[in-house]
Amino acid sequence: MTKVKLVDVWKMYGKVPAVRDLSFECESGEFLCILGPSGCGKSSTLRMLAGLEHISAGDIRFDERRINDLPPKDRDIAMVFENYALYPHKTVFDNMANALKLRGMATDEIRGRVQKAADLLQIGALLDRRPQELSGGQKQRVAIGRAIVRNPRVFLFDEPIGHLDAKLRGHMRGELKRLQRELATTTIYVTHDQLEALSMADRIAVMNEGVLQQIGTPQEIYNHPANEWVASFVGEPPMNFLDVEIGTGGSETEVVVRCGGMQVALTDVHRAALDGARGGARLGIRPEALQVSGTADGPHWTAGTIYAVEPLGGDTLVEVAFQGGRVLAKTSADFVGAMDDPIYVSVDRTKLHLFDSGDGRALT
Amino acid sequence: MASKDIVTYRTPASVLAAVASVVFVVVFLLWTVLPLFIMFVSSIKDLLEAFKLPAVGDWSGIGVFFDFTPTFKHYVDLFQDEKFGTYFFNSVVSALGSAAISVVLGSMAAYALSRAEFRGKKDLFFWVISTRMAPVVAVMVPLFAIFRYAGLVGTLPGLVIAYTTFNLPFAIWILKGFFDNVPYEIEEAAMVDGSTRFQAFKGIIPLVSPGIGAFLVLCVLFAWNDFLFASIIGSGGAKTLPVATSGLVQPQNIQWGKIMAAGVVTTMPMMLLGLVIRRYLVTGLTMGAVRG
Repeated sequence: MTKVKLVDVWKMYGKVPAVRDLSFECESGEFLCILGPSGCGKSSTLRMLAGLEHISAGDIRFDERRINDLPPKDRDIAMVFENYALYPHKTVFDNMANALKLRGMATDEIRGRVQKAADLLQIGALLDRRPQELSGGQKQRVAIGRAIVRNPRVFLFDEPIGHLDAKLRGHMRGELKRLQRELATTTIYVTHDQLEALSMADRIAVMNEGVLQQIGTPQEIYNHPANEWVASFVGEPPMNFLDVEIGTGGSETEVVVRCGGMQVALTDVHRAALDGARGGARLGIRPEALQVSGTADGPHWTAGTIYAVEPLGGDTLVEVAFQGGRVLAKTSADFVGAMDDPIYVSVDRTKLHLFDSGDGRALT
Repeated sequence: MASKDIVTYRTPASVLAAVASVVFVVVFLLWTVLPLFIMFVSSIKDLLEAFKLPAVGDWSGIGVFFDFTPTFKHYVDLFQDEKFGTYFFNSVVSALGSAAISVVLGSMAAYALSRAEFRGKKDLFFWVISTRMAPVVAVMVPLFAIFRYAGLVGTLPGLVIAYTTFNLPFAIWILKGFFDNVPYEIEEAAMVDGSTRFQAFKGIIPLVSPGIGAFLVLCVLFAWNDFLFASIIGSGGAKTLPVATSGLVQPQNIQWGKIMAAGVVTTMPMMLLGLVIRRYLVTGLTMGAVRG
């Protein structure tokens, strides 16, 4: 069980910074996901952890021991690559046993460890096959098996299920999470799929353009995004963003959203947060925080028109058009409505997010 | 899959093309096979029988070509009187030696050029290829001077080095393409597993072995059939089969029987080699062209 710590880590490719001043910790036995779009620096970070890239500046520590200058073979880490990287000329058994043979382990012990890992991953019947005879899911299990036979200090996963079909990906998310729990090995998992990160990780480190945006539990990232970018990246369907114009009236500060006059009443917390906005503010509303109805059921319902309806089976997505803009709402599967029908929208004001228009930081 | 059925429709032009292609193939076969056939048959004929020809226009006399008693005395004379055993040995050692050195050094250089990024890499690679662009005869004089200064003229090591000078760039050029087609993640996985860089390099050699095999054959072929280097650098103590064969053309007479036998001894090993590895040669030469 190993704690991994990155302190002020930079990675430069020539003059281009791929990772900028990155610092975070992965506790011993934790499943940490590094989440971000392509080119955000997550794979570069993983490769620096593995020793496959030089660290331009900063330190990486395993249990407070600086490992910057250690080659990959001396870090006691195991990595599962995006394209599996199995040895095509070796059998599944030899692929899984390779690392143990390099360490001079006895044949009997190698056989025992490989068999145990194969049984755990349900690939015992495939040990004599070669990679070209395996399906994508089987190859992925072999790649994971090659990692777990070693009993390493840290697992590194580089988008291992990205090339599987959707159904298999869904299945493997649960399998990988369970496996990590059973082995209790510190795991750092890189992905661009926010669903994978939210469903599997103990904590998520969200990166964009080489910079760490936020680190926290899936609930923290989803419910309290640190800035507008994190809010827009995490969540499917994505969050709605509306410019805010403040008006006053009556006993509450009425926030008039510049979107055909959508009226939103703020809580005290939100009103106080608006004072912290240097310029303007943007309101973020997740689709599930919007309610839609054929009639205005109260004082804060805003009239609009149905722009599109997307039945998803378990839910329905309704895109509502106001004068000058649109919002996407998620409602129940029994929603009835057609394009261009009139509709009313209301907001669950306990689930609002406010962001500074200038730098995008969260105000709440 | 590289090949597929081509749908064709029978037209007068396609019929004509089919007939013309058959005629072409027959002519081509005669052009290529007939000299080899004559060489082989002449090598087992007595000289008098070898020069028996039918009269001009007498097609019925064609049987005279096949009316002979086979004899292997030219082969015996070749190896006993002309010491062709030594020349055969020289050819084998110089061809295999230069091929082996070129493959070992060339694969390592090709791997480095494929994997490493460094300033001047493209220029270095072009320089390597450019050494094969110049005609060998243009550099023969300075090369001979260098080899003579080093005391390598007329020696087998000298000939091996000479062949390596033109095989090694070829090896680097060809093998770089094969290494480029091996995913780098395989070596990275090996290094994470516990391999050093060199062990990871050795680990992927089986993946480029078709290319190495194809290159080895071409290397051996070039060196075996070479005349220029062998006659100038190898003259004297490192005479090879092509040079020795040309030596059978004496001012006082041309030893046709021995020349034909020498021709068979020189060409047969390469033809057999080609027959044995032809399937792998095509695979090896085309493997580098398509990304897997």
